[in-house]
Amino acid sequence: MIRFLIKGIMRDKNRSLLPILVISIGVFLTVLGSCWFKGIFTDMIDVNANFSTGHVKVMTRAYAENVDQMPNDLALLGASEFVRELNTTYPNLEWVERIHFGGLLDVPDANGETRGQGMATGWGIDFFSPGSNEPERMNIPGSIVQGALPSQPGEALISDDFARRFGISPGSPVTLFGSTMYGGMAFANFTVAGTVRFGMRALDRGAIIIDITDAQAALDMADATGEILGFFRDGQYDGEKAAAIKEAFNARYEGDPDEFAPTMLRLNDQNGLEDYLALSESISGIMIFVFVLAMSIVLWNTGLLGGLRRYNEFGIRLAMGEEKGHIYRSLITESVLIGTIGSVAGTALGLAAAFYLQEYGLDFGDAVQGGGIMMPEVFRTRVGPEAFYIGFIPGLFSMVLGNALSGIGIYKRRTSVLIKELSV
Amino acid sequence: MESIIQITNLTKQFPVGTGKFTALREINLEFHRGEFTGFVGPSGSGKTTLLNIIGSLDTPTEGEVLVLGNSVAHLTHKQSAQLRNKHLGFIFQTYNLFPVYTVYENVEFALLLQHLPAAERRKAVMDALEWVGLTDKAQSKPAQLSGGEGQRVAIARAMVKRPAIMLADEPTANLDSKNSHHILQTMKQLNEELETTFLFATHDEKVMGYLRRIISLEDGRVVKDEEIMMDKITEG
Ligand SMILES: Nc1ncnc2c1ncn2[C@@H]1O[C@H](COP(=O)(O)OP(=O)(O)O)[C@@H](O)[C@H]1O
Ligand SMILES: [Mg+2]
Repeated sequence: MIRFLIKGIMRDKNRSLLPILVISIGVFLTVLGSCWFKGIFTDMIDVNANFSTGHVKVMTRAYAENVDQMPNDLALLGASEFVRELNTTYPNLEWVERIHFGGLLDVPDANGETRGQGMATGWGIDFFSPGSNEPERMNIPGSIVQGALPSQPGEALISDDFARRFGISPGSPVTLFGSTMYGGMAFANFTVAGTVRFGMRALDRGAIIIDITDAQAALDMADATGEILGFFRDGQYDGEKAAAIKEAFNARYEGDPDEFAPTMLRLNDQNGLEDYLALSESISGIMIFVFVLAMSIVLWNTGLLGGLRRYNEFGIRLAMGEEKGHIYRSLITESVLIGTIGSVAGTALGLAAAFYLQEYGLDFGDAVQGGGIMMPEVFRTRVGPEAFYIGFIPGLFSMVLGNALSGIGIYKRRTSVLIKELSV
Repeated sequence: MESIIQITNLTKQFPVGTGKFTALREINLEFHRGEFTGFVGPSGSGKTTLLNIIGSLDTPTEGEVLVLGNSVAHLTHKQSAQLRNKHLGFIFQTYNLFPVYTVYENVEFALLLQHLPAAERRKAVMDALEWVGLTDKAQSKPAQLSGGEGQRVAIARAMVKRPAIMLADEPTANLDSKNSHHILQTMKQLNEELETTFLFATHDEKVMGYLRRIISLEDGRVVKDEEIMMDKITEG
């Protein structure tokens, strides 16, 4: 009987082609879409974690409240001892100091006169400690456009955009103007070691990256740091573990009224990422729901049309002594076959597209407006294991549901009525 | 000959608007194995309705219809399907072949429902195609057949499971004279060789020429029930 049905499906293009097309397209979109969203969310979370929030982050309470203003006057003191302690207490996280600061970059000409000035966002990160993962974490080696990483104190990386605007190249001097931890005027000279482009608007407008010891010296922050970031050593953010660590840490300072007492936030709590994480977890479900709904309706209708076209066939099959239930089940079997073909085809196409976009990405440079959240300009899909089966849920399910619904019509019609239509 | 169908006081009504339309009234008939019988009468006289009830495709409003000992009124859907599957064959005015399947597959379908082993199926299908003279068209599609050939495939499909009773509703209505005679001769032959009971619904004179018993219906009533003399048939 199955062979009989397969022959029917293969030969009757009306029965198979449209549903297979509908399913393939729907499944294709589901697979590609879920990889797409997964790619966007993973990239976004990684970028935010690596550049800004860490998996968890320790600041003073006062700093945490004004974190957008990079208030280094509210920094943590005794930073190196603190980091050591964190590393001992939470050994499965790597703890690093970072100073995030704002300032003015001044580009002098040959005589030391100002040739141009621009606002800059700065990072002081650990370039020089042996075994420091910070440059890799921020993907700096991969983002160098000209020059190289700083190899000694007093060297800086600046945004390539900024460098081009002011005609700076590696070797040029720049002066950073900012404010010290105590509210005084700070300035420091750096030699440009290289220029970087991260592919993120928020970072590429004007950034200066220097070693953390240079930042501490320039901003008068001896053994102080604005932020201490913690990263799970396996690189994977785990919201629940992070929450447990955060609670344990914050509990230690619960009774302390000092606004300079340290406080810990996890990734979710920062940059409005909570909503995005929630969305990222529900997005596949939402997409599948939408596709199941839309495709079921379409397939229900094609099923109804197909059923109408096949009334003669059903009538004659009843007359030949086939039971209604058997006809109904054979319709469902057909829909399982068609649904499987469509789902396999759609999944194959979707995976092909997703793998391609995982490799090459799609450049949305001008469309992305960096808000609080950092977003990569090149969108990449990410093919996870679920991409291989996720399409079968809407593909098979909606085909079977659509046909099950349309097939009910056969049940509702009396045998004699079906037969009557044979003789007209 | 063995009695295989008994109809007692059969009345069939259809709901029409708010009232009822009586399509068959107070029918009493009996049929024996091997009959070659037709219901004749003008359009609307109830021929199809009667045939469908005998075929357990429809149910009586009143009265009793026994087909091979089964009371049509009391069969479940499953039981009536079983009855049709094992013992009844249908031929309609339109051939209703499955368009995507070959002649062979069309005929084979009836046997798929009976879960027969492949070798037996193959033999039965080829036999049936031989009865109707279409062995050379086994791999053709219905669209490639002439009208007469199409109806012969329909006969083969109905006959392949060797049913006790064949019900043929206006089988010649779409055929020209030559093809009509051809399929009637085929059916007559099957009737004689396999002892299959044939019941026709028709208003075609050509069919009547072959019948050995003619039951005339008018407004849902049997108005005449006559046996035809053998010598008359040989002329036909
Ligand atoms: N399902 C039905 N509903 C209402 N009336 C019907 C139905 N089937 C048949 N009839 C009526 O019953 C009468 C007999 O129909 P039918 O048995 O098809 O006649 P015949 O086959 O002799 O032309 C007709 O008047 C027809 O309109
Ligand atoms: Mg009729």
